[in-house]
Amino acid sequence: MLSLEIFRAHKKEVVAAWVEAVFATYPFETTGFLRTKQDPFGNPVAHMTREAASTLFDAVAGEDMHPPTVKNALDRFIKLRAVQKFLPSQSLAVIHAMKPILREQVLPKMQDVGQLAAYLEAESRLDSLALLAFDMYCEARETVAEARIKEIRNQHAQLARWAQRLEDGGKAE
Amino acid sequence: MAKLPTPQMLVASRPAFPEQDWLDIKPEFAPGSFCYPAKKETMELLHMPNPHDWDPAAEDWNLPENWEKILCDAFAERLEKHRSLKLFMDICVRCGACADKCHFFLGTNDPKNMPVLRAELLRSLYRRDYTMLGKLLGKKVGARSWDKDVVKELFYYAYQCTECRRCSLFCPYGIDTAEITAIVRELMHEVGLGTHWIMDPVKNCSFTGNHLGIQPHSFVEIVEMLADDCETVTGIRPKTPFNEKGHEILFITPSGDVFADPGIYTFMGYLLLFHELDLDYTFSTYASEGGNFGSFTSFNMAKKLNAKMYAEAERLGAKWILGGECGHMWRVINQYMDTYNGPSPSHMITPKSPITGTVFKNAASTKMVHIAEFTADLIHHNKIKLDPSRNDHIVTTFHDSCNPARAMGLLDEPRYVLKHVCNNFVEMPENTIREQTFCCGAGSGLNTEEIMELRMRAGMPRGNALRYVQQKFGVNHMACVCAIDRATLPPLADYWAPGVTVSGLHELVGNALVMKGEAKRTMDLRQEDLPNVVDDEPEGEE
Repeated sequence: MLSLEIFRAHKKEVVAAWVEAVFATYPFETTGFLRTKQDPFGNPVAHMTREAASTLFDAVAGEDMHPPTVKNALDRFIKLRAVQKFLPSQSLAVIHAMKPILREQVLPKMQDVGQLAAYLEAESRLDSLALLAFDMYCEARETVAEARIKEIRNQHAQLARWAQRLEDGGKAE
Repeated sequence: MAKLPTPQMLVASRPAFPEQDWLDIKPEFAPGSFCYPAKKETMELLHMPNPHDWDPAAEDWNLPENWEKILCDAFAERLEKHRSLKLFMDICVRCGACADKCHFFLGTNDPKNMPVLRAELLRSLYRRDYTMLGKLLGKKVGARSWDKDVVKELFYYAYQCTECRRCSLFCPYGIDTAEITAIVRELMHEVGLGTHWIMDPVKNCSFTGNHLGIQPHSFVEIVEMLADDCETVTGIRPKTPFNEKGHEILFITPSGDVFADPGIYTFMGYLLLFHELDLDYTFSTYASEGGNFGSFTSFNMAKKLNAKMYAEAERLGAKWILGGECGHMWRVINQYMDTYNGPSPSHMITPKSPITGTVFKNAASTKMVHIAEFTADLIHHNKIKLDPSRNDHIVTTFHDSCNPARAMGLLDEPRYVLKHVCNNFVEMPENTIREQTFCCGAGSGLNTEEIMELRMRAGMPRGNALRYVQQKFGVNHMACVCAIDRATLPPLADYWAPGVTVSGLHELVGNALVMKGEAKRTMDLRQEDLPNVVDDEPEGEE
């Protein structure tokens, strides 16, 4: 469990660096606000990013995590990025943005103690998480597309019923 | 060998320090972030200035030849007319108190969606022509000149503000950014730029009375269909009085509740309540739309559409007007109606509930009472019988619709009603409700499907708070008092907090209302089975 201990020892720095990397995808004028305000409802983007960061790291490190827990923690973050003005690649590349941070902070330590294989496993877990995020992203986009269709239908729900009735020649329903 | 970009290169969104000033970065008109333009014919029919065909995604918007003069003159005229506008242009000290209060800013992270900077888009133009420093020093003091890109930018951000006024709540100077947005939209209209989703309902309301342009006889038939549905659920067919003279009350509500799911169930709630009270009232087909899309267009258009209310009250001889659950309709009534079309017709009286005798002195001037106040008063005087257990399958929270909450202070009445018709009520976090409520993300004419993506990010702060109470307290329902909310919150909930349903307040009232001589209720107004009545049925009677 040496590998896990090394990961745990670096959680704070890696999470902080990753959160910064995510914030850097937003305009410069906005980053300061995202960094400073802590209120989960007053600054929801920072809150959901930090929630995702912590869980993402734990999952990569190899903590005992259930997929639904991971999914729940990533949920808001992925949904947000799915409707912000990004290309799909830009939305999700932030997951991979953890790699260079890990390579800088964790890899050397792991190499020193001969845990390279364990480190590579951790990176593979990050790849799996990126795929999980991809599923969630697609689901979110589909929900948006469905919402558009549903809304068109709902706006005229009564009108359609009424027209149907006329067609049926009066009262029948 | 060709080099593939690394993930870092893919995300690389910006340099560590931007090369351009924020004011110089121009918006990108990507699909999903702008509304479709209004049709030329619609604008012509409404006698709007400079109607023309154009496409927001195109490079050239086909502005009229002398567009700059038109805009400068129109701006000057408005500065002259609205003293508030001049004040708002002058007094902002850019303290930033409003900056992080806007749901559009929180969801998009676009600095120009900070209310202060959104207003600065117009203020920078003001500075050039109306301040000494701006005239002398120009760009150095944040002044700039009009150009076609500026017009595009104004359009882009004026339709990324729902005029919800959350920012103005935090402004130490009381600057109402919504009014700045309203003025920018007016200016855009001067050069023929409007959106389809707003102008089409405006046209329909102008010509036919309701936002879909349904002819009066059909409108009545659709309402009768809803009365039939009421009968299916309760065994009682409520009356549907239309255009009848000599009633005490004229009832006006947004027409969305006649056409759109789930608004229709709120409408059924009204029908049942009024029937049970044997209320002396009538609907009007002419004033069948309380919501005022004119208020998203211009001062004059809002005034024109609003005028129908008093005109009908006068024609039908109604003594006062009861208004349904609507958002901006109430802002218009509470803040502008007197100025637009006041004073009310002379035969109208200060509203007095015929059931309880309560005089609504708060409505002495407009003669219009909000239905939540009316119903809360009924409950307070014990005039209606309610069985809240019929709503036991829901754990509800309440979304304060921006306009009733911030523009008229309607905070406690709907909660009072809700707590009497539902046993399970949970508030969302403090800084997301009451005066501080977060907008649904699609008010002020932005509730159109082509910008669903934008709506999902703008509505994120609301969705986020809803998700919180859903996960923490098992909330599965959200009540609201606005027709736009009833249309826009379901997709928002589906996205951010799937499993939460949305309804108007009076749908829940209709469900809980125990009516004289009604059949045993086995289903709710949506004709879905009531879970808690299945067991006890020895023989169908109350």
